[in-house]
This record gives sequence, C-alpha cells and structure tokens, in this order.
Amino acid sequence: MKIFMAPFLALVLSCPSCSSKWTTHTACKDNKLELLYQSCDPLQDFGFSVDHCNNPLSENLKIRFGTVLRYDIKELFLDINLFAMGKSVYSFSYPVCEADFPQFSFCGRRKGEKVYYAGDINNSAFPIGKGEYHILLRLYNENNSTIVCANFTVLSY
Amino acid sequence: MVFVMAGYTHYLFLAGLLTPGCVGAISAAQMCTEVTANLTYNCENLGLKEIPESLPATTKFLEFSFNFLPDLQNSTFSRLRDLVYLDLTRCEINWIHEDAFENNNDLSIVVLTGNPLIFVADTAFQGPRALKHLTLTQTGMTSVTFIPMQNLENLEILRLGSNHLSSIQLPSTFSAHNLKVLDFELNAIHHITKKDVASLKQANNLSLNLKGNNIRDIEDGAFHSTTFQSLNFGGIFDVSTVLKGLQNSTTQTLWLGSFQDVHDLDISPDMLEGLCNMSVKALNMQFHHFSNSAGIFQCFMGLHELDLTHTHLKSFPSDIKGMNQFKKLVLNQNEFDNLCHINAASFPSLTHLYVKGNMQKLDLGTGCLGKLKDLQHLDLSHSKVVSHTCCNAQLKNLSQLQHLNLSNNEPQTLQGEAFGECPQLKVLDFAFTHLHTDASPSPFQNLRLLQVLNLSNCLVETSNSQLLVGLQGLKYLDLGGNPFQSGILPKDNLLHPVDSLQVLILSSCGLTALEQQAFGGLGKLRYLDLQHNSLTSSGLAALSHLKGTHLNLAFNNIRIIPPNLLPVFSQQSIINLSHNPLDCTCSNIRFLIWYKENLHKISDPEETTCEDPPALRGVKLSNVTLSCALSAVGISFLVLFLLMGIGMFIVLARHFLVRKYENI
Repeated sequence: MKIFMAPFLALVLSCPSCSSKWTTHTACKDNKLELLYQSCDPLQDFGFSVDHCNNPLSENLKIRFGTVLRYDIKELFLDINLFAMGKSVYSFSYPVCEADFPQFSFCGRRKGEKVYYAGDINNSAFPIGKGEYHILLRLYNENNSTIVCANFTVLSY
Repeated sequence: MVFVMAGYTHYLFLAGLLTPGCVGAISAAQMCTEVTANLTYNCENLGLKEIPESLPATTKFLEFSFNFLPDLQNSTFSRLRDLVYLDLTRCEINWIHEDAFENNNDLSIVVLTGNPLIFVADTAFQGPRALKHLTLTQTGMTSVTFIPMQNLENLEILRLGSNHLSSIQLPSTFSAHNLKVLDFELNAIHHITKKDVASLKQANNLSLNLKGNNIRDIEDGAFHSTTFQSLNFGGIFDVSTVLKGLQNSTTQTLWLGSFQDVHDLDISPDMLEGLCNMSVKALNMQFHHFSNSAGIFQCFMGLHELDLTHTHLKSFPSDIKGMNQFKKLVLNQNEFDNLCHINAASFPSLTHLYVKGNMQKLDLGTGCLGKLKDLQHLDLSHSKVVSHTCCNAQLKNLSQLQHLNLSNNEPQTLQGEAFGECPQLKVLDFAFTHLHTDASPSPFQNLRLLQVLNLSNCLVETSNSQLLVGLQGLKYLDLGGNPFQSGILPKDNLLHPVDSLQVLILSSCGLTALEQQAFGGLGKLRYLDLQHNSLTSSGLAALSHLKGTHLNLAFNNIRIIPPNLLPVFSQQSIINLSHNPLDCTCSNIRFLIWYKENLHKISDPEETTCEDPPALRGVKLSNVTLSCALSAVGISFLVLFLLMGIGMFIVLARHFLVRKYENI
C-alpha cells in the first residue's frame, strides 16, 4: 500500500495550509461569556475583537477587525449560520457593500489592501441562554470569492 | 486517462493508472494555473521567489499577487516580452530598480498594491510604449514625488489610495494629458489650494476621487472654471466645505455621500447653498441626515440625477418648484408609508424612479405617480409593497413605462388586464412576490411589447393555461421555483401562447416528466433551463421538438440515456448533464460513446460524473472508457491467470501432501 499512500502524503506535505488550521483566538472573555473564533479561510487568518462581553449582549457593540483583502470588495455580502447542539437554528444573509449602496467607508477597497475597521455593528440587545453555540460566518464578494471565513464559538455560563 | 476493463481486474488497473495522475496534479499545484493557453496565467498565493521557467514567453496577462519578490530588476521580467497586464499585489516588493520593465514594450497595466516600497528608480517605468494604468495603492507613499515621472505621459489611470499623501498636487514634470482617473482615496489630504488644482489642469474630463480624506478647507476659487467628469468627496464631515470650494466649477457627477461608520454633520438647507453656484448633473447624498427636508431642494434646480439613498426621508414637501430637469431620482432605503408622500408631481420630467428597500410597509396608493408622463423605469423592489388588487390604480397614467420591478414584495392580487395603464412595458419583474390571479386568468393580456417576464418563486398557478395569454412578443420567461401539479409539464400547458420565447427557465419546479409536445410551439427556444428538478430520461420526451437549444439538465435524476434520445441531444447546441446520478456501466454504453464524441457540446464536464458502478463513483464521464465485450487481450490474460492458479494449486497441494506423509 506504500506506493499508493505516497502521493497523498506528498499532497498533504506540499500544501500545509490545506490541512493545518489557524489558531483559535479569543475575541472577548468575561466570567459569564466567552467568544472564540478561528479562521476557516485556508489562505489566511484575521484579527477580531469585541469591546464588551456582556450577557445579555449590549446594543451597538463596538468591534475591531483587521485583515488583508484577497479580492476587491466593490460588493460584499455576509452570511451567518447559528448552530445550537449541532443543529442549524438561525441563518441570514446581509448585504454589506453594494455597487449602488456602499454602506461602509471600506466598501470599494481593493485586493491587497489591509483593512482595519473599528466601530459599531448596529446590533440589537440580545440575551444568550446558557450553553455552547457555534456561528459560521462568511464574507464574500460579487464573484462569491471568500473574503473572510470564521468559525465562532460562544460559551455562555 | 483511466482505462477500465470489464471484470475484476479493473480495480488494479484503475489504481495503477490513477497514481501517476495524482503525482502530476501535485507538481501542477505548485505552479501557475493556465487560464488561456500561452496567454493568461495565474500564479497567486504560491510563495514564488521568481518568475517560473514554465511560463511561456508569450504570456500576456500575468496574475502574480501574494508572492515574494523583494526587488524587481531588469532581469526579473525580461523573458516575458509580450506582457500587457502584470499584477504584483502584495509581493513584498521593496525596490524597483533601474529599467525593471525595459523589455516589456507592450506593458499597459501594472498593479503594485500593498507593497512596502522603499525606492523606485528614475527609469523604473521606462520601456513600455504606453503604460496606461498604474496602481500604487497602500505602498506607504508620503509624497507623489516618490513616483518617477519618466515615461508616464500615456497614463490614463493612476491609483494612489490608502497612502500618507497630504496634497493632491502633481509634479510639474508629470504630463496629465491623458489622465482620466486620479484616485487619492483614504489619504491625509486636509487642504486643497489653487496651485494643487492647477496642476491637474492638463487633464480633460478627469475623475478625481478624494473619498475618506478629511478635507477641512479648499482655497477660494481653487476650482474656478474647472471641469471634471466626477468628483468624490465621500465621507466628508461638513459638505459645505466642499460646496463652497467648488464654486464656478462644472462636474458631471458629484459624490457627497456618507457612510454608516462615519460621523458627520446633519445637513441644513444653507449648507447646500454652494450648489447654486456650480454646475452638477448628478449628485449623490447617501446616508446623510437632513435637518429639514423642506429647504434641501432650493439649489438642486440644475440637477438631472439625485441619489438620496438611506437619508431617513418620510416625505417630500409638495411645494417644490423648478425641478423640470430631473430625470433620475433614487430614494432607496428610506421610510415612506405611501408612495404619494414623494409628491412626484414636483418632478414632471422624471424618466427613472427607484424606491427600493423601503424600510416601512409601502402603500402604492392610487395614481401617486400619475404626473410622471415620461417615466420609463420604476423600481419598487424589496419595499414591503402592499396592495390588494394590482396594478391599474397604482400605475395610473404611466403610459411610457418600460421597466417595472415589483420583486421581493408582499403578496399581490393581479386583476384582469392588470397593466392596462402601461402598454409599453418591456421588462416586468415579480420574482419572490407571491401572485394571486383569482380575479382574472390572464392578467398580462395587453402587454404585446413585453420581452422579459420574471415570475420566479411567485407561486403562480401553473395549471392555469390562460396565464400568459397576450404575451406574443415575450422572449425571456422565468418560471423557476413555481411547482407544477403532480410534477408533470403536460401537453396543454401555459406556454402555448408565448411562442416567440428564446429563453425559458423552469428550474426547481418539481418536474418529474415533460409530456410529448409540451414545447410543441416553441420553435425559437435558444436556452432551456431545467436545473434542480427530478427528471429522469423517460420524462424527456418533449425535448425532441427542440433544435439548436442550450439545454441545461443539471441537478436532475437522469441515470441512463436510451439510444433514442441521442439524436435529440445531437441536434442541440450545448447540453449540461452535471450533478446527475449517471450510470457508467455497459447498460449505458451507447450514451457514454456519444458523450465522448460530443464533448464540445458538453457544459460543465468537470461536474459530470458517474454514480454507478460504485468503483467509478465521482469519476468524470470523459475519463471513462468501457470495454463491454471481452477483448482478445482480456481473454489471454484470463487464461494466463487461470493457468497460473492451477499451477499454484498443484504446487501447494504437492507440498502439503509431502509434508503430511513425512510426518507418518
């Protein structure tokens, strides 16, 4: 079987980013709530933090976010999937940048640019029941190219 | 190529032949992707430290972003003499040395975004006969003098965004005769002087982007008698600074919008006074708050287009006068309760009106747009539009209307001859708006000029054979997502009146079969989309009437294609059979042979794979070669195998017997 395994091993070795995962980071931590995230974009990691980790989540959270754009973001869309106990309980899609409605000042920035955003996300207050939740978040552009892919874990005590 | 012999030996052959294929794929993965042979190559994200030898010298378009080239020298690109487009985004370039592009005479576009440039030599851009686009976004530049000006006289687009520039002044040595786009987005430009603007005078019809620069003052008269194609001051704190500075200027498009993450001043009517002393055709004010919407129009007289997207508007005053030149008004993402609150009569010449994504339930009222005799385009999509019977009262007097978008709204009930008020309609979009047609079976009756009708996901009664009566001119019909009763498209169906159709979309309609003659009258059909249904080959009888059609059968339930369907497939232009559970056994051999002979007709061959037998699951159809009769070679192999087996048995048996008797 050795001869058959060789190409697969070579594949794994030659493409380290395909198999290795990015480190799990802490976006915020409090004695009642913890928010962890991990990049699921095989090409790169990103930076993210939330100013307060209250439960219930307070209105208009302030976040900080930094990444390098791998593609232009003339148009940018956000997909969020919330999982509780392994089941998808909530999902939605939201346009962040549109050609005729660039909502944020970073809309229209180009491939290769470093983007840093510090500001509100306009959320409403939200109580989080005890337990562990998973959120799959994906930002993608008009060609469906991934700008950011993130696995969030919410731990509520 | 994967050769598969019938019988048990095929596993071995398959594995043996797949192995070199995998090794090939690995070495290819480290190299560039060929987009167009000998012309276009993509080498993104490969961590390359030089241009690979494998790239042909004829390469014209090279995508080389996210690699590692700390210094560009004369020799770096010298082999690729035909280069036209070169993208070096984020290659960690520090140095661009003398004559770096000397041998690239045809080079027209160079992208250097995100490189930490330390120095660019004087003759760096010498060589190209006509360098047209140069992108130096986020390269850490603090002064435009950083850019060597030699050989840039053909430049049409210069992008200098996200740097640390504090002035828009171009060096006197720079020839801006051909410059069309100058992008200073997100720099640190706070002041604009007469001298700065004068340095741009050579350029005609320039588009100047100053978005995200916190401009605090513009010298009086700086823009006096200047002409711009477009000016972008997006995200500015106080718009009156710009409007005062632009006195006596002429601009086609002025973008003064703001953003959700930008803090700015609420706009009072006097802040817009500067607009009275300049010429602007199109103005964008998105995301601003107007402290008083009554006075905002006083200096908008000369405008042809106005975009007030997301400006928190609930209504317009009724006494606005002198807006006779307005052609296009964008009121998306506002808070109107009733369409009459726009007071459309103030804009009698309007040809385009957009009220998309209204945040409140929007009542279309009665005759609210009745004074807009020239209106051609009306977009009311995503606006929570509510109405009981549509649409004659709502669209009263819109006799010139050509495009109407009512998609993504609340359920609508269509009356008989529902569009009697707009007989000129060419495009009608109702996608994702639930339609009831109880009042009349043929609501589109008088729309003889209609060419495009989108009824996708409208849950229309597909059993109503009268639904599309009157649409003689219809060329494009989308019925996707509308279920058909019992999954069958019958012989007598709603498509009969629309015999000039060129494009028909019946995706996700729950179809299991198309009856013979179902497309009988549709002789002009060019594209038929039947994706995401549950069609099997026995339900494809209706296709025999089609000729030269692009047939999309992806995501269906087709396993075996009987020989009598092959001539039907042969007479079509393109066929997509991807994501079907196709059978790759000898029972489908005639089709598999046909498939290989007609590969030029197959769309998405990468996803057209076998489902059966299990050994071939996921293998591309184009890679399968079945041999359904045992060949001479196969037989001799088998005989050899048998002989060897017998031989082995004899030897073993003898050995066994000998040992047994030895023990006695």
